[in-house]
Amino acid sequence: MARDTEVLVLGGGSTGCGIARDLAMRGLEVTLVERGTLTDGTTGRMHGLLHSGGRYAVSDQASATECIQENEILREIAGHCVEETGGLFVQRPEDPDDYFREKLEGCRECGIPARVLSGSEAREVEPYLADDVKRAIEVPDGAVDPFRLCVANAIDAETHGARIETRAEVVDLLRDDDDIYGVEVRHESGPGKHTHATAGTTEKITAEYVVNATGAWAGQIGAMANLEIAVRPSKGVMTIMNVRQVDTVINRCRPKGDADIVVPHETTAILGTTDEEVADPDDYPEEQWEVDAMIDTLSDLVPILAEARTIRSFWGVRPLYEPPGTGTQDPTDITRDFFLLDHAERDGVSGMASIVGGKFTTYRMMAEQISDHVCEKLGVTATCATADEPLPGSENVEILEAGMDDFGLRSPVARRSKQRLGSRARDVLETDEPNPVICQCEGVTRAEIRDGISQSGTDLNAVRIRTRASMGNCQGGFCCQTMANELHPTYDEETIREALDELFQERWKGERHALWGEQLSQAMLNYALHATTMNRDRDPASESSTVDFAAFDDGRGAQ
Amino acid sequence: MAIEDDVLVVGGGLAGTIAALAAADESARVRLVSYKQSTLRHASGLVDVLGYTPAGDGPLVDPFDALADLPEGHPYERVGNEAVREALSFFDGIAGDAYEGGHTDANALVPTHGGTVKPTARYPGSTAAGLASDDRDTLLVGFETLPDFEAPLAAAHLEAAGAPFVARGVTVQFPGIVRDDAKVTRYAHLLDHDEVVATATGETTARAALAETVRAHLEDETRVGFPAILGDDRADAVRADLADRLGVDVFEVPMGPPSLPGMRLEELLYAALEDAGVRVTTGVPVVDYETDDGGIERIDHVVVDRNGTEIPHRADQYVLATGGLVGKGVRSERERVFEPIFDCHVPHPADRYDWFVDDVFGDQPYARFGLPVDRELRPLDADDDLEFENLRAAGAVLGGYDFAAEKSGSGVSLATGYVAGQRAGTEAGR
Amino acid sequence: MSDAERPTDDHVPGDDEFEPVQVFPEAEEMDLRPGADNCYKCSTCDTNCPVAEVDDEFPGPKFQGPEQWRLKRQDDHDIDDSVMKCSNCMRCDSACPSEVPLSQMHNTARGEYVEENMSKLSREYWRNRMLANYRRLAPLGSMFPRTTNVVMGLSATQWLGEKLLGITGEREFPEFATETFRDWWAARGGAQVENADKRIAYFHGCYANYNTPEVAKALVRVYEHFGYEIMVPDQHCSGTPMFANGMLEDARRSAETNVRELAAAIADGADVVASCSSCSMSLRQEYPELFDFEGTEEVAANTWDAVEYLRVHEDLEGELEGTSVGDEFDDFAYHAPCHARNQGLDGQTVEVLDAIDGITAHDVGDSCSGISGTYGWKEENYETSMKIGAEMFEHMEDADAKAGLTECPTCSMQMEHGTGYEITHTLEVLEAALVGSTTEADAQ
Repeated sequence: MARDTEVLVLGGGSTGCGIARDLAMRGLEVTLVERGTLTDGTTGRMHGLLHSGGRYAVSDQASATECIQENEILREIAGHCVEETGGLFVQRPEDPDDYFREKLEGCRECGIPARVLSGSEAREVEPYLADDVKRAIEVPDGAVDPFRLCVANAIDAETHGARIETRAEVVDLLRDDDDIYGVEVRHESGPGKHTHATAGTTEKITAEYVVNATGAWAGQIGAMANLEIAVRPSKGVMTIMNVRQVDTVINRCRPKGDADIVVPHETTAILGTTDEEVADPDDYPEEQWEVDAMIDTLSDLVPILAEARTIRSFWGVRPLYEPPGTGTQDPTDITRDFFLLDHAERDGVSGMASIVGGKFTTYRMMAEQISDHVCEKLGVTATCATADEPLPGSENVEILEAGMDDFGLRSPVARRSKQRLGSRARDVLETDEPNPVICQCEGVTRAEIRDGISQSGTDLNAVRIRTRASMGNCQGGFCCQTMANELHPTYDEETIREALDELFQERWKGERHALWGEQLSQAMLNYALHATTMNRDRDPASESSTVDFAAFDDGRGAQ
Repeated sequence: MAIEDDVLVVGGGLAGTIAALAAADESARVRLVSYKQSTLRHASGLVDVLGYTPAGDGPLVDPFDALADLPEGHPYERVGNEAVREALSFFDGIAGDAYEGGHTDANALVPTHGGTVKPTARYPGSTAAGLASDDRDTLLVGFETLPDFEAPLAAAHLEAAGAPFVARGVTVQFPGIVRDDAKVTRYAHLLDHDEVVATATGETTARAALAETVRAHLEDETRVGFPAILGDDRADAVRADLADRLGVDVFEVPMGPPSLPGMRLEELLYAALEDAGVRVTTGVPVVDYETDDGGIERIDHVVVDRNGTEIPHRADQYVLATGGLVGKGVRSERERVFEPIFDCHVPHPADRYDWFVDDVFGDQPYARFGLPVDRELRPLDADDDLEFENLRAAGAVLGGYDFAAEKSGSGVSLATGYVAGQRAGTEAGR
Repeated sequence: MSDAERPTDDHVPGDDEFEPVQVFPEAEEMDLRPGADNCYKCSTCDTNCPVAEVDDEFPGPKFQGPEQWRLKRQDDHDIDDSVMKCSNCMRCDSACPSEVPLSQMHNTARGEYVEENMSKLSREYWRNRMLANYRRLAPLGSMFPRTTNVVMGLSATQWLGEKLLGITGEREFPEFATETFRDWWAARGGAQVENADKRIAYFHGCYANYNTPEVAKALVRVYEHFGYEIMVPDQHCSGTPMFANGMLEDARRSAETNVRELAAAIADGADVVASCSSCSMSLRQEYPELFDFEGTEEVAANTWDAVEYLRVHEDLEGELEGTSVGDEFDDFAYHAPCHARNQGLDGQTVEVLDAIDGITAHDVGDSCSGISGTYGWKEENYETSMKIGAEMFEHMEDADAKAGLTECPTCSMQMEHGTGYEITHTLEVLEAALVGSTTEADAQ
């Protein structure tokens, strides 16, 4: 029977996009479907750490070794998504000396370059470290932008012929006896780029092989075909600071515990995290104590955090998994390793494999192993090239960064834009038309917003993750509206209004967790701008009743 | 020795300036101390009184009808309906020709830069020709380098909102602007001074070039709207000149922040302060106060900080008009919401997660943070007793109302500023 | 990072290792990113910027300050060159409703720009350095004041200044006094009042010393009238022109001397007063923002504007009640300098002079004069400077007064240059009211 595609990948996170790229580069026909926008699940909700492996150097040396290998590969193939910040494992006076030594030895055993710094040397690297920090181990941790990395994988997969469908939720697995041969999806606004205010459709997509890369949601997909996949989703909070208090990844050097890492991420610093098992990856409490713990605990390492402004908090759900019968109680003890569940072997149901567990830094390696598995199933012999081929945007980045062209922009805006766009900078930024800055917090220009729109339609959250627009101090208070304006005239007014409302509400969702001090003032200012000045909260265009304009003052009485 | 006056107003926004003017009207010697610039410059320059009821009904045709039904504790309920009317006519007297809308109790509907319409009671002359409750066809003009206002989209939005006229929008280049990130004051300055600008057809002046650019797009419309950048000091002349050249009415769509109409209103109020002999000290915060002995506490003097030196300022009566969360008259930390100068009581839920609701435009508790007051506008403590005998509060520092949802911010500032200033002036004179 | 650069040191420092004392970072290395936390993007700073209003090449203080800082990583040093268009009027500081340390951000960024991005061989660098170090040039002028005044006034000199150095030929160089204030002070035998309870240390600054000693003398006479013992400590330039030109090292050297000398005077029981609003601004605000010498905070907390000090410590207005001055001083067009405005002193002069019979001082509004110290002296800024000043010139002319009045020496140059008014300092008016005319006082 002719199938719509050879391989159908479920899930648009790092694993799914990595698999789609890998297989597409091997010449396979690939379709990827994602419920929301790319990275909406766990990928877009991580702290942005590119592991050196140092974190696992004591507890899980196999993972640590994989991390340092992949870390080195990503610096090469995804240079425009990675910032080589370096990392420190910092010891406070109360932290155990034994563990410090174990960590150092562990790093060396795993091939992770490590060097010990005295307290004062560490403070020279990071001036805002606490005065009583005793010493630190320096490792090659980095910061990575998961959005950009994931999107670059998807773009490259498309370039190699893949079909990527976002806002396409799997509503059923197509199963014929013991064979899974595809899925039924509901397109929120029809296939292709998302357009608000457009009617949804459903589509059956058949495939030779289905890869369930939905992570924490893998159990829900499995259940559609009566397969039991015991994912143990575990939530963790990340609190975003308005500015970078540190430019190096700061880890607390102690056995385990909440709130032990600060990652410099783009213009911000991200504090993490907690680890609590949850029943439903879509519905779990986001709690005040978690945010407070980040600030209170991490200010032991970086005291200025206690008074600093946070702009939002978000939670991610780890797709933890352990084989049946292991019975680990504390989620922090569950392995970070990944598992490939071949349902033919495991459950006697052919046509699908599920991938669970794992971590972002090793996404490419996971994708490679799964792609190998898929090729074996399909009898394809092509080999993996993802470790050598740079991602779009990361070709010849050095040449671009060395270039003096600022595209008529102020130098910090040009610098940031080029860092985001990598080798695509010239294509996107070179224009004869006026190119004003749309998001002033993050330095994003109209040209870059329009580039994002050309990729993702009216989905302004997808534009946001591509550009960082609306991710700065004001959390979109000043730029959501201007971003939406750029949708005109391609899209009509009603569509744009819906797209704007969705983005504005999404920004509020995370900002709620930062509502005190300066961010509460910001929230009030945003509210005043949108409700008082623009009357967007009681917009007659969105209300059901009509306004009797004639009853109001028409100004003529004054004359 | 302390710097001495009869009435000391702390805060230089709409409520503070009106309070100072009302106190000066009672022949008191008045000083206004303000720290940084006020939120007047953020606001649209419109004077809203009440556009929607607290329950969300509206837009209200007649704001005064709805005042009587406001809940206890609402600032309008505190001062009473009559005081709101008096305050508005006090404002009308100060503003003179600069503001319109005083000829009727009815609200006007004004187009916003997002393309919606909103109800307001008084509007600057620059906006008068643009009312959405006026049924003349309209051309909206936006500029490529001012992305806040997308004129064609705003025009489509006005029609979706049911505006009783045909609206069309065009986007053009602003003559004389060379950088894409020029500030709004630069646009205004070019027009105020009618600077010489280069165009494709040679050198001309900014106003002529702008009119020329727009004329090419004008069809049957009898009015043209621009984002609010049409001049600052000479806005009336700029508008009249453009109208003359185009042969149609010209108006501004309020914008901001930053807001030129807000800045013009500030200018107008500060000129009135100077005329009224109010002494104005700006750029310095009030950081502390001392009380004198007696039954209910009285403020003896406040302490103004000048780059580390502390200068005492004494008055008989004090008005606190330091603004809300945006103006920083109300501040917050993770565990509390507070008033930073006198530590007046600010009611708020103990749990920070009860300060907000999940719908961004829902009934937000944080929007109502501020001081509770008696009918004399004197702040009350947690037991409903007076905080100080000689302190009154006005404007956004007051609690119990959501100005953004109700569209009542300027009206509350006017009414409470007027009442607080007048009472303070009278008391000080006794 | 290549393998070669990877840290591989095996050294593990012991627990009892010696920790060197943390040194305060050089000003241009200060990390001011946390200052961006206060910004909520309202742009009030931008609407107060006199430069952005007349020149759209300058992107305004919000971009220069919190936005540029927030976009910075530790190793980024490419400050946008537009920071050199900032005139350091500091109006954005007093505008910001959210207390962003704007001018500190600008000063630091400018220092970094000059350090990292400006060629030390460029004409611009040497011109700026020369303008910033007026104090080092002025003594030469003072040694031969008449010759210098003639030479500086020659059109050939002005032409050369413009062509060689980029100093505008449109302005008249300030005249040097035939006797500096310090010379006068020494010749007079120093303080004529001794009073252990009422003592001030006078920071006269460069201009009152070399160019307008009559202002400094007025201060001496007014303070002695109130019974103060006056100290005139050794002093260098306050640093204002150096901050404005990103010459933070030069400023640091001057500041070190000033803090040391003034702290010693404070230890002797004196408060510090300054007659120039930019000097007092510098000592009070910029020093603690940029430097950390021993005593910096103490000097800042004990420094006052000369009129403000009398107003708070004496009954100045009471003393002035019923006084009058001659016809020469009856009708002023008063301009409040930006640096006085930043200290909350913009209304002070009009309020104080109100107590003197027969004086009218018209406040000519809150616009900037446009010269901003050395800014308006640069050829490339002259036009912008005059555009900024246009509003003030217009209001001064409308005031139709007899003379101009201000507390800032460069504002007074601009006022004179733009209107032809003769410009007086507030202390000179107080002197006339309290002590009598200058001629009488000279006869003392």
